[in-house]
Parts: sequence; structure tokens; C-alpha cells
Amino acid sequence: MRELTVIEAVREALAEEMARDEHVLVLGEDVGKLGGVFRATEGLFERFGAARVVDMPMAETVIAGVAVGLAMRGLRPVAEIQFADFIHAAMDHLVGEAAKIRWRTGGDWSCPMVLRTAYGGGFRGGPYHSQSVEAFYAHAPGLKVVAPSTPADAKGLLIAAIRDPDPVLVLEHKRTYRAIRGPVPEGEYVVPIGRAAIAREGRDVTVIAWGMMLHESLAVAETVANEGIDAEVVDLRTLAPLDRETILASLAKTRRLCVVHEDTITMGLGAELCALAAEAGLLDVPPVRVAMPDIPGIPVDDQLEDAVLPNRATIRDALLRLVARPRAHRSARAAFDPGIPQASSVVVVALPEEHTRLALAAVVEAARVIPRCNASFAWSGIVEHDEVVVDLDLGPSAPARGGGTITLVDYGREGSDLAVPFVRPGQTAAVRIGAVRDGRAYVACAVDHRAVDGADAGRFLAAFKTAAESAAHPDLGARSAHPDPGARATPLRHPELVEGRES
Amino acid sequence: MWRLARAGRAHFAVPCSGHEAIGTGYALAMRPGVDWLAPHYRDLAALLVLGMPPRDVMLCFFSRPSDPNARGRQPYAHFGSRALHVLSQQGPQPNHCSHGVGCAWGSKLLGDGSVTVIAFGDGGAQKGEAHESMNVATIHKLPCVFVVHRNGWTQSVRREDQYATPTLVARAEGYGMPGIAVDGSDVEAMHAAASAAFARARAGEGPTLIDAACVRFMPNTSNDDDSRYRDRAELEAQRAARDPLARARALVTAEFAAQVDAENAALAAEAAEWAEAQPLGDPATVAEHTYA
Repeated sequence: MRELTVIEAVREALAEEMARDEHVLVLGEDVGKLGGVFRATEGLFERFGAARVVDMPMAETVIAGVAVGLAMRGLRPVAEIQFADFIHAAMDHLVGEAAKIRWRTGGDWSCPMVLRTAYGGGFRGGPYHSQSVEAFYAHAPGLKVVAPSTPADAKGLLIAAIRDPDPVLVLEHKRTYRAIRGPVPEGEYVVPIGRAAIAREGRDVTVIAWGMMLHESLAVAETVANEGIDAEVVDLRTLAPLDRETILASLAKTRRLCVVHEDTITMGLGAELCALAAEAGLLDVPPVRVAMPDIPGIPVDDQLEDAVLPNRATIRDALLRLVARPRAHRSARAAFDPGIPQASSVVVVALPEEHTRLALAAVVEAARVIPRCNASFAWSGIVEHDEVVVDLDLGPSAPARGGGTITLVDYGREGSDLAVPFVRPGQTAAVRIGAVRDGRAYVACAVDHRAVDGADAGRFLAAFKTAAESAAHPDLGARSAHPDPGARATPLRHPELVEGRES
Repeated sequence: MWRLARAGRAHFAVPCSGHEAIGTGYALAMRPGVDWLAPHYRDLAALLVLGMPPRDVMLCFFSRPSDPNARGRQPYAHFGSRALHVLSQQGPQPNHCSHGVGCAWGSKLLGDGSVTVIAFGDGGAQKGEAHESMNVATIHKLPCVFVVHRNGWTQSVRREDQYATPTLVARAEGYGMPGIAVDGSDVEAMHAAASAAFARARAGEGPTLIDAACVRFMPNTSNDDDSRYRDRAELEAQRAARDPLARARALVTAEFAAQVDAENAALAAEAAEWAEAQPLGDPATVAEHTYA
């Protein structure tokens, strides 16, 4: 496939859409004979004429406002704000008008306008030609915000934006314009808005970035691969609305998050992405944001600008820090972490000598009744698991393998009459069955007291007892805690351990 | 409406009393469903002339979701109707100036011969939005008519604290378009001025600025207390001299005027009673139409 730079891809998208649909027009400062200060509109004036390639006064408010009016009439204006630093004069029309018009009229009106602007630093532009403004606009429901990083996405997302029935802000990183070259499909090529892309697959950590920071993150990912870190890099592409599905799927795999952006750190998009990950309970370690510090502008001096913008060294440092943090669970080294504050309860349960299957089923049932005992605790939040996976510890010859969501310890006849189990890191509860004497055994439950209180530990044991005794004595089945066993499809894994002991 | 809002039965009233002749004048010059209006929030008279049913006005007033203007999502006076070619009106004034310019630009590009009236107050006229809009409209000779409902007040701020000139008509020359100063309480004069501006717009000669002077007889909105800043005696004197309705009544027989007043009062009462009985919004629908 032929290769283009980002700016050539933008130009191609504009030309193709203007040729396809006469309702498409371009307006902005210097977009006519000059072809735009970055040459995004080069050649359009000559090809499509002054009526559709309009040089506007240096007045960002009216550029956006006129685009709103044109869009309300069914035209497809593509307005250009020369530098994102100047866009705030247009904010009232973008956030106050374009984003609200469909909603405030119950769908009677729409505002299918596009506003393109060049953002980003790293080329000594100083505080008014370098900023990243995405957080202000991604905060406005009703407005879509895209930030392509590759030439193909620059074309495909711009075409999608022009055809979109809602207003779209297209943020183009000015350093990518000529620095980034890549394959671009010829002819009609639409990249759907609202979909992130996995720019590099990896298992250890998820890096989310866009614009020039995507390319820097990809470069770092290759570097740290030699250091044993397999980074997945997500090209966010659409900043609003967020592609939660792709982000969460990546985090479910890596459980570590690093966000890289040029915007200042506080209230930047990284904060939202970290919150999204934390609320989903998908982080094993605290996330890391690599962003500009909270200073009013990007300085022009070489050393000063380099000091404030994220770069390959700071991104690499962040990844190394992230993977060095111990995971809140899953870590074998921390398996007997004495730091977990525990609480425990004990009940007496009527049990037959051979009761492993029965006890497993009772643990599953009790976990269903008190889901907090089948959970993971991390400082980022508590996650109650849908699936019950029992770590079955049958003694020194058949210890638990780890990886489960709850632990059941049962040393059988060799065991003590009563012993309290340890809660495994990453789990919130463990159950231990003592040796059966005269058809009865002590059953103890220990819980991570940060996640489960003592009363719930007691309820958990009560549910265990009810389930175990109902199953052990079928004549008591009428009191079973399973009103509709068919409704429960909780899978029970590690059956090989059960089979192993019985064989 | 004023009484209903003050009685707590609706959230918000925006009186148009004193402004009626302005909107009536340009609405009579418009072709309903062809020409476009970017309305002023005191444009009730224009909307009724253009054909908005009184029931729709009252649905807007009671902020019901069945209101075709604002769907229970914006308060009263945020007018808008695709069918009547009335652009959806926003809160911050006068952001619709540039929307109206974009609309007029659309007319030019589409070649449909329609004209857009852009109406705003003298408060709005002081904002850069109005300046930028008039500048762009004259550069491109767009088919639009700017009308300032110039009542001399921006809520509580008097004319002398908003602009230094006695009227705004001189600004037109600065942009390169004709300016017409009209007594906005005289419906015939207003219609004549609007008709001239429309003729110019349709001939491709570009926009006109109409400075329509009027008196705001009531407080700014139902949330305003104008006794804190207005002189009663002066207001009553203005009312006696410049009531557009009194002047319009003088153009017809007393019997006809009385008959029209009685019909309109009955229409308004029926519409209000009907609209107030319409259901409130369903919370399950509040996020609908955020995106297409």
C-alpha cells in the first residue's frame, strides 16, 4: 500500500469528501490560497473554489458559530481552528451549542459539523502554540472528540467525522503531520468513531496514549520488551465517547495501567481512564500517569519544554515502576503475606467422613449467599467475582495450586480437630474443615477484615452449614438453600484435585 | 403567563410586552416555512404570526416534553421549530447571531432564495458574537436581516452603561451595510423596514441592520424585580406613548379590536389549560438524543 504522511492523509480525506458531497465545505483562517498554515487544505481552493473553501476573519467564535448554523441547515462544514490554543473562543459554540442542539430539541435538530484543529507540543511553539486541549472538550456529552495518530486513522476518522450526524472535534497532533508516515488505503476509507485500537499487543501492562505520545509509547514498548516487559499499547483514537470495551478488555488481561498524555495531569483524560479502570476493579497495582506537570503553559526554551513534556525516558521509567509494584494478589511471593488483617468464626457441622464434593458445593453456595467472601481485595477496590473457583488444599500431598477466588482446606482424618486457615492474598475468605468426630466437624472461616466484616463471616459459615447438612441428609433437603438449583450455573473448577484424592 | 409563573405553576416567564410590533413587522414580511428566523427570546409575536399554535407556546411555557420548541429540556422562550424554520434558541445571548449567519450562508450555497432574520437585544449587541456575525455577513453579502430589539435595558443595566451612542444604527455603516432606525412600537413602520431589508437580501445585496427602538414594559423575566432600578413614573409615561398594541388598535375599529382581543384571550386560556394538563417528562428518557 502507498504511504502518506498524516497531513497528506488529512488533505486526501478533505478532497475526497468534498468531491463526493457538495454539501461539504471548508472554512477557517488561511485555508484558501495559502492552503492552511500546515497545508491541510492545500489545493482545495483551486479545485473547489472560493464558495466551498472559505478564508474567514481571524475570529474563532464566528468560525464555530457559522459552522453550527450551516450544519443546522444540513450542510457539512469542516471548520479549521489554526491552533488548538485558540479554540476556547469557539468553546461556547462547541460545548454550549453544537453539543446540546440535538438533545435540547429532542432530536428535531442536529449539528453535523466538524472542527479540526492542530494541537500538541514538542516543536518549541511556546505556551500558545503547543497545548493539548482534549480534556475540556471530552467533558462535553453530545460532542465527539477524536485524535488520530496514524496517517490511516487521520484519513479514516476525518471521513467518519464529516459523515457523522453529530458534531465532531478532530484533534490532529501537529508533530505527527510530517513526522509520521504510513500506509493509507486509497479511496473510501472510514474508521468508526468510538473504537480504540490495539497498536501493540502485550500481556504485562496496558499503556493508553494518543497523538505523538502513542508513537513515543510504542517506541518505549519495543525497548522494554528487551527488559522482560510485554506492554500492550492502546491507541485511544476516540477520546469521547470512550471505547470502554477495548480499554477494559486490555486491562482485564494486564491488570496494570499507564496513561500517557501531553495535557497537564490534574483533571486530564488520564484521571478519567484511571477512574474507569479502578471502578471496574481491574487494577492489581496503582496506575501511573505520565503527563505534563500542572504549570500554566508549555515553555518555549529547549530544555524547559523537554523537561515538562512526557518523553521516552519518562514513559520507560513509569513502566518499570509499574511492573516493580507488587500485585495486590496473584503474587506467589506474597502468598503468605502476614499483613492481611484477619477475622474468623467457627461452627459445628454434621458431615460424613467422605465429604469433599459436598464441602465444595457448600462453599460455592455460601459464596453465592455472601459474595464478599468470593472476592479480590486491592487498594483500588474490592471486586466480587461472578465465578467461584475453589483453591482446594487437601494437605501436604495435595496443596492448593493458587489462582482461585476462595480457599477450602481439608486435611481429613490427619488434620486437627479445629484450625483456622489463612486468607490467601487476592482472596477475601478461606474455609477449613477439621477432622470429623462422631459425624461432626468444626468448620472455621477466616476473612480479610479489610473487605469482609465478622458478621458476614458468620453468615457465610451459616450458609455453608445449611448447604452441607442439607446435602448430607437428603431428608433435610426441604430446607435446602437452593430454591432453584437450575438457576445457578456457577462453574466449579479444579475438579482434577477432587478426582485425585478419591482415586 | 406572567401571573401563572408568579403563582408557581410554571418555572419561567419572559414578557414580550412592548416588543410585539417588531416581531409582527418582520414576520409579516417573511414567507412562513421558507424564510428563517433566529429568534429573540421576546419573539412570541413573530412566532404566532409565523403560525406556531398557541398550544405549542403553552407547552413550552409549562416545559412539557411534548413541547416541539424545547421538549421540556429548556425553559420557556427557548423557541425553535423545524417546520416553521425557526432555529433552536439557546441561553447565552446572542450566540444565535452566528447560527443565523450560517443559516443565511446555507441559503446562499443551496440557492433556495430564503432570507434569515436574526433578532437580538441591545444587550446581545454589545458582545463580540454580534460584531463577528455582522462582519462575516457583510463580507459575503449573505441574505439576512439583523434586527435589534432595542429596549434600552440589559436586564437592569441602562443604555448609557452599555453603549455610548444614542442608537446602534450607525454601526451598520461600519460593517458596510445599510442601517434603518425604526420606531419599534409602530407595526407598519417595522413592516416597511423589514420589507425593504428583505428586498435587498433577496436581490443578493446583502444584510441590513434594523435598529428597532421599543420600551420593555415589564421586568426582564419572572425572576427579575425592576422596581430596584426603574422609575415608575417614567415607565408609565412611556407606556402611554409607545404601546404597540394601543397603536395597532388605533388602525382598526374598536369593535374589531375588541373582538380580536376576546378571541385571543380565549385561545390563550384554552391553550394554557390544555398544556398544563399534559404529562411531565419520563426520567427514563432524559439521556435520549445525546447522540444520534
